[in-house]
Amino acid sequence: MRRSVGIAGLAAALVVGIGALGLGPKIFQASGQQNPSSVEVKIDNFSFGPMELKVPVGTMVTWINRDDIPHTVVSTDDSKTFKSKVLDADEKFSFTFSKAGTYPYFCSVHPKMTAKVIVQ
Amino acid sequence: MIQVFLETAAPRSASVVLLLEVAMGIGLLLGTRLARNGRFRQHAWCQSVIVLLNLAVVVVMMIPSFRVHVFPRLPAKLGKGYYALATTHGAFGTATELAGLYILLCAGTTVLPEKLRITNYKIWMRTVLVLWWIVLVLGMATYTRWYVPHLFRK
Repeated sequence: MRRSVGIAGLAAALVVGIGALGLGPKIFQASGQQNPSSVEVKIDNFSFGPMELKVPVGTMVTWINRDDIPHTVVSTDDSKTFKSKVLDADEKFSFTFSKAGTYPYFCSVHPKMTAKVIVQ
Repeated sequence: MIQVFLETAAPRSASVVLLLEVAMGIGLLLGTRLARNGRFRQHAWCQSVIVLLNLAVVVVMMIPSFRVHVFPRLPAKLGKGYYALATTHGAFGTATELAGLYILLCAGTTVLPEKLRITNYKIWMRTVLVLWWIVLVLGMATYTRWYVPHLFRK
C-alpha cells in the first residue's frame, strides 16, 4: 500500500514536472487568472505563447512582442477581425473578443508563426 | 539547401526571391565571361534580361514588403539593426538597379541624348557588378536577420 502511494506520488510529480517544463499541451485557460478580463500573449523567439488560448467572451487579449525582431498579429479570417501594425520589440497590441468562436491568427512577417484564441 | 529554407521563419515568397537573386548574381558573372570571350550580343542579352527581371522582382516583391514592414518606422527606428540592414539594402539596391537601367538605356537604345550617354562602359559595368554583389550580400544578411530564428538572439 505504502509503495503504491509512493508510485502514485512520483507519477503526479512527473506530470506536474512535465507541465512545468512546458512539454504538455500548450493550452492556456484565462478563467483561472486573477483578472480574467485581460490576458497577455507573449511573442518570443518566433512563436506566440500560449499557442492556444481559451478565454471567456469580453476578454481583452494583449500581445506583447518580447522578441528582438518585428512581428504582427493578424487574424486569418477573410474579414481580418483583428490586425496589428508592425510591432517592434516591447510594443503591444490589444483586442477585445466580444463574440464566441475560434480565432486563428498569424504573423504576417513570418507566416509560419500561427496560434489561436478560443472565445467561449 | 531546401531544408535550410524550410527551417527559417520566412514566407515562401521571400525564400524564392533570395534564390532568384543569387541566381541573378551568378548570371551576371557568367554574362561578364561572355563579354570576355567576345560574345557581346549574348552578353548584352544576358545582362539586360537580368537587370529587367530584377526590376520586376523589386517592384512586385520587395517594395511592397518594405513599404509595409519597414518604411512606417523610418527614420525613427533606423538605429535598430534589422531596420538599418533592410534600409541600407534598399538604398544600395535602388542605386544599383538604376545604374543598371542607365547602362541598358545607353548601350541598347538611343533614347538618351548624346551628352547623357556613357563613354566608358567598362568602368560603369564593373562598378555595377561590384555594387550588385554588395547588395546581394546585404540582401542575404537582411533575410537572415529577419527570418532565421536562433541567430543574433540574446
